[in-house]
Amino acid sequence: MTAAPAAVPAAVLPSVPPQTPGEALGLLAARRATGALHGPLGSLYLVDGRVAHADSPRAPGLADLLTGCGRITPEDWAELLRVHGPHTRVAEALVERRLLTRGELELGHLSTLFDAAFFVLADRTGGLWRFEPEARHWLGPVRAVDAERLRREAGRRGRLLERIWPWPQLDTAPVRPAAPSAQPSHRTAGRRRHELLDHADGRRTPADLARLLGRSGFGVTADIRRLAAAGLLDAPRHAAPGTAPPAEPPAAPSAAPPAEPPAAPSAAEPEAPAPVRPAGGLHRRVPGATLPGAIRTGSGAPGSTAPGPAAAARSDRPPAAAAAHPLAVPDPDIALLTRVRTLLEARL
Amino acid sequence: MPGIDECLAGAMSIAGARSASLVDWGSGLALGSLGECPTGDHETAAAETTDLVRAAVESQTFTGAEDRRSPLQDVIVTAGRSYHLIFFIDTVFDGRLILHLWLDRAQGNLAAARYRLQALAEELVLG
Repeated sequence: MTAAPAAVPAAVLPSVPPQTPGEALGLLAARRATGALHGPLGSLYLVDGRVAHADSPRAPGLADLLTGCGRITPEDWAELLRVHGPHTRVAEALVERRLLTRGELELGHLSTLFDAAFFVLADRTGGLWRFEPEARHWLGPVRAVDAERLRREAGRRGRLLERIWPWPQLDTAPVRPAAPSAQPSHRTAGRRRHELLDHADGRRTPADLARLLGRSGFGVTADIRRLAAAGLLDAPRHAAPGTAPPAEPPAAPSAAPPAEPPAAPSAAEPEAPAPVRPAGGLHRRVPGATLPGAIRTGSGAPGSTAPGPAAAARSDRPPAAAAAHPLAVPDPDIALLTRVRTLLEARL
Repeated sequence: MPGIDECLAGAMSIAGARSASLVDWGSGLALGSLGECPTGDHETAAAETTDLVRAAVESQTFTGAEDRRSPLQDVIVTAGRSYHLIFFIDTVFDGRLILHLWLDRAQGNLAAARYRLQALAEELVLG
């Protein structure tokens, strides 16, 4: 367990540097590495090439879930961490002291691991990645997941979000419920999603809501997208429907720029194993192609309830189709131009 | 004290069991699976089972008159040659979990399997 003999070179620098967090993880797994892969949105801890832990600020951890539901007081948790953390046997202590059953520990651990790993692996903003050899997680061994399995699951979750409502800005922006007058009248959102609306105060992001309510980060993210698909959320930032003015249309019809990752540091820092940049415009979609289709057929939201009313609610406001185009570009002017173009294309 | 593996092994020991999976229906994640699989891989089966469960949980028809915290106990699909027992597991924290048992109709006994599945689910979270 302790000695990983030849395997792990301090800085893993293959001849072809990995382009995505997933590739970096695959590489480390292939070398049966032990240590932590740190990225801008969290860390993955490997033990002999398998992922044993994951942390992300976007996903509540085991501690959040357990203190959130009142199973353990924050003071007891802090004490547990102080005593057993340095020996990486917090998990063991939880079971020994009967604070959790083995089953609960495994379930909670796996759910939070996959949850955090999704945000770490789906990160396309670039930034610094580094590998810290031999780093161990304070929780200690519970279960480990095959790296390939983790990547598949992260991919599946990403596609699921796209299918629900392809609008990634929703994932990080403060959640704002739509004004009551703007909400479709006859839709019920379900208890859990209502609870999200009740706690959305215009400042809390999906990650804040997840932590507040002790729910999985991915679950809340998906529910937020479902709420948006149902027309129950105010559009974030520069996406207010109906504001696309016909004033400056053909000015730059080809305005969609190569998706500029916000604040991408100029790629390769020497020790970074995975300078992650979106591989050739991952953010870009063909404007006007998928979404209006999805709206017309109502097939874009499998998880939301009846497609009929949803489609109706959305088609009340034709410009919303254009506004709903998922813009991953940070510059509002470009966003506006892209929206104008999408609108024009939709009318062809 | 049983963990995920013991729980699934217990489910597979039920007469007529063809597969058993523990699924987080909040995300569609298969936390663990044993046995053969109707779709060829357990991850797809978990995602599809999640769609069914979500439809049931989110409908007023099935849940409107029930206890708000855990409105549904199980969902049973009876097919020509098999049963699918989908049992909801209540955890203290946010886990939205189901235990899915695929059961052969000729060899299995639905009532007995349902009873056993409930016991396994309780053991898993109560220890």
